[in-house]
Amino acid sequence: MKFIIERSTLLKTLSHMQSIVEKRNTIPVLSNVRIEALADSISFKATDMDTEITEIVDAKIVETGATTAPAHMLYDIVRKLSDGSEVEIAFPDDKGQLTIASGKSKFSLSCIGVEDFPVISGDKLPVEFVMSKEELKDVIDRTKFAVSTEETRYYLNGIYVHAKNEGETKVLRVVATDGHRLACVESPLPKGAESMAGVIIPRKTVAEVRKLFDDVSVEEVNVSLSENKIRFSMEDVSLTSKLIDGTYPDYERVIPTDNDKELELNVKELSAAVDRVSVVAERTRAIKVLTSKNKVVITTSSPDLGSAMEEVEAKYDNGNLEIGYNFRYLLDILNEVKGDSVRISFTDGSSPSVIHDTSDASAIYVLMPMRV
Amino acid sequence: MPIRILPSNLVNQIAAGEVIERPASVVKELVENSIDAGATSIDVTLVDGGKSLIVVADNGKGMNKEELALAIKRHATSKLPSDDLFNINFLGFRGEALPSISSVSKLSVTSRQENSESGWKIEVCGEEEGKISPAAYNQGTRIEVRDLFYSTPARLKFLKSESSETSACVDILNRIALANPQISFSLTADDRKKISLKTTEEDLFDARIKRIEGIMGREFAENSILINAERESVKISGYVSLPTLNKANSLSQYLFVNNRPVRDKLLLGAMKGAYQDVLASNRYPMAVLFFDVNPNYVDVNVHPAKAEVRFYDSAHVRGLLVSAVRHGLSEQGNKTANTLDIAQFVHEELPRSAMLSEPSRSNLFQGFQAPRSVYRPQSSFVEMESRLSVQVEDRNFEEESVSSGVLGVPKAQFHDTYVISQTEDSIIIIDQHASHERIVMEKMKANLLKGDKVATQILLIPEIVDDLSMSERTRVLEVADEMQKLGLVIEEFGVNGLIVREVPALIGECDVQKLVHNLAEEMSEWGKEYALTDKLHHICATMACHGSVRAGRRLNFEEMSRLLRDMEKTEFSGQCNHGRPTYVELKLKDIEKLFNRR
Repeated sequence: MKFIIERSTLLKTLSHMQSIVEKRNTIPVLSNVRIEALADSISFKATDMDTEITEIVDAKIVETGATTAPAHMLYDIVRKLSDGSEVEIAFPDDKGQLTIASGKSKFSLSCIGVEDFPVISGDKLPVEFVMSKEELKDVIDRTKFAVSTEETRYYLNGIYVHAKNEGETKVLRVVATDGHRLACVESPLPKGAESMAGVIIPRKTVAEVRKLFDDVSVEEVNVSLSENKIRFSMEDVSLTSKLIDGTYPDYERVIPTDNDKELELNVKELSAAVDRVSVVAERTRAIKVLTSKNKVVITTSSPDLGSAMEEVEAKYDNGNLEIGYNFRYLLDILNEVKGDSVRISFTDGSSPSVIHDTSDASAIYVLMPMRV
Repeated sequence: MPIRILPSNLVNQIAAGEVIERPASVVKELVENSIDAGATSIDVTLVDGGKSLIVVADNGKGMNKEELALAIKRHATSKLPSDDLFNINFLGFRGEALPSISSVSKLSVTSRQENSESGWKIEVCGEEEGKISPAAYNQGTRIEVRDLFYSTPARLKFLKSESSETSACVDILNRIALANPQISFSLTADDRKKISLKTTEEDLFDARIKRIEGIMGREFAENSILINAERESVKISGYVSLPTLNKANSLSQYLFVNNRPVRDKLLLGAMKGAYQDVLASNRYPMAVLFFDVNPNYVDVNVHPAKAEVRFYDSAHVRGLLVSAVRHGLSEQGNKTANTLDIAQFVHEELPRSAMLSEPSRSNLFQGFQAPRSVYRPQSSFVEMESRLSVQVEDRNFEEESVSSGVLGVPKAQFHDTYVISQTEDSIIIIDQHASHERIVMEKMKANLLKGDKVATQILLIPEIVDDLSMSERTRVLEVADEMQKLGLVIEEFGVNGLIVREVPALIGECDVQKLVHNLAEEMSEWGKEYALTDKLHHICATMACHGSVRAGRRLNFEEMSRLLRDMEKTEFSGQCNHGRPTYVELKLKDIEKLFNRR
């Protein structure tokens, strides 16, 4: 195998590869990226056994062939080569080492044969639909912050995507929760997705796909699904991942529908106020929101550090009430509100509050108060 | 083979298996008999670790000829006068010891009552009827046990070496002696005196201290805290060690219930609970504690060797023990063990590694394990210079305005890590990180419980825990109210489930299932809310570790002085959160010894 490739193309591809490859592996070949020179292009492949990424790039092929080489090391080498240079990569069949040459630099890396490299993609997945990249990016951004990192409730370690028949309009619902807060976002149901079952996409896959979105120029993403796999294909890159095998809790049950007290605030003012007040909050991250006619007072106090208080104007006329929140959770939600104002509805200080972007009905956030 | 009644010699051997396990059990049974007989002097002699011969001689009230014949019969005793098993005022009561011993050894008993004209001797060997003959003896009873386990070779084979059997006997006699300061004890093994404890003339309590010092050593006597607590029908008195004086196992915890030495799991667990955040989890305090419980509220008849007891209200006893010890510790909390083995200090040329690897020594020397930086190879001149610079504060006139406490006046800081202070009669070396860590943690703990309750995060999706055993579930539910105060809201769910609705906000996102399981388990061991407080304290400890002054930070005089004053005010400031000492005291007289001035 031998080919010549432009450094920037190679670097971009390898950056996609190395972010899938785990830093430490018990199976040596998983540290490697699979490189195959086809007739007119190069195919790169990396996997951690749960996720697999494949990318096809153009290059000057001298000789076809395939091998696997350490992904992180290869990435580091290429990253340090000078910009704009061309890289010659060769794998003479008899040597067993991959050579990388560029300008005056020359490297040889130990390889592992391609036959050991596991393949998890390849099969065709039954459900297929096309979604705009921006739409997909949007639903991911607005939910991924709420994904749980706590490993025991593994079924919460991802975003839940399912088709929802809401009256006449059919929507695609994306949900994430960690048991303290919940984000639920809707987008129009793409053609072909009507038959999809609910799937839980793992956190790592969501993050990787999200990174890829910024790197590719295409506007549309092909999504294909089966019961236990999902594949995102765009341009020459495709990412295949196992899904989380579990039952997502009945999240709709925890979204309250009868919160009668509504509070409307400017989102920028609110998040700036919360952010400032939070400086004095304790490790518990508790802040208090006190509502009164047409204003809320945000306070925090800790016996050690002191206290803070800030007033924010609001549209409100539903009596005085005191609610505690984890400021981190509240800011996470406010960050995703794109409109000017936000509507918070609640019944009391111990049942879930619901937060809406007033200009956008597609997203709904549920936040459980704290008792402080 | 048809069912039959076993011959009596077999029955006796089986029974002996329960009570008589090794020579130490013989010593225990016989010495307890002597104590019950009102002896004031008990002498034990062992040959070959007690395998060949055990002699227990006392000056108690003795037995007459008729009693002597009865004494070696099973279930014959003088110690249950009212036939009431729930009112036991003697150490023994079952009438099993002598027949059990006689069934596995060659036994001879010589006894003479105070007023009788002659003494009598009975010899028994296994099954046969004992023959009684007149014998000469002073007042009291002398029991000889020869060739223990000659009739049960299997048991004999399982005995340990002579020296370890001897030390087991010494240990058991020490335990008994601790509880009976009014009696003199001696133990001679193969012609060497192992124990010699005389009675002192002073009143009972003084005698007890003397006895404790005699057995546990001066180190314990000087570094222990007096415990005295009484609630309802239970009274606890005795001494526990300062947390910095600790051992690798719980064998140095001598616990007595109504003067009966016990190794009771409940009490040992409570000791662990009491020391939970002042001692590393694998270290054990030393203790001599006496529990006086109304005999009606304690059942001693649950273990063949009576090493365990059952309390009528075990939670009460445990609660009292824990609170008494905690109280004692918090009063003396800023003390650390001051004993330094000067001999070791002088022989510093011993390879350090050898010293540190030896737990028994490093125990005494624990305070001196810390300055590892002293022996770090110096890497560069610049660094060396800065490291060698000792920051000496020269402000004698200012010192007078600073009120000095028991930890003295700071004099210098060296290696930017240790503060040296001087008191009237000693030099104190303080580990600045360890001590500040404790101060920060105690403040956090105080804040944690200052309000009515701690901040909690209500769960959007409540967690259902349904794989607890019935007893665990009941236990958790029993303390649900206290848990709620600490921020964990648990309710009943269905027939055998629990539902967790709120968790302490400090814990953050956590594995609720595991939390509840751990709590249930630890509760059975330590009791009640300790389990959850411990979790919260652990988090406080981690936060404190990051929020406190690190080693390597230069402190000025005011800062050092403040640190010392804060330590004096803070509970448990003698140890850091991980149980290491925060300071070491070098007594002036010890320093003088180093220079051969004394």
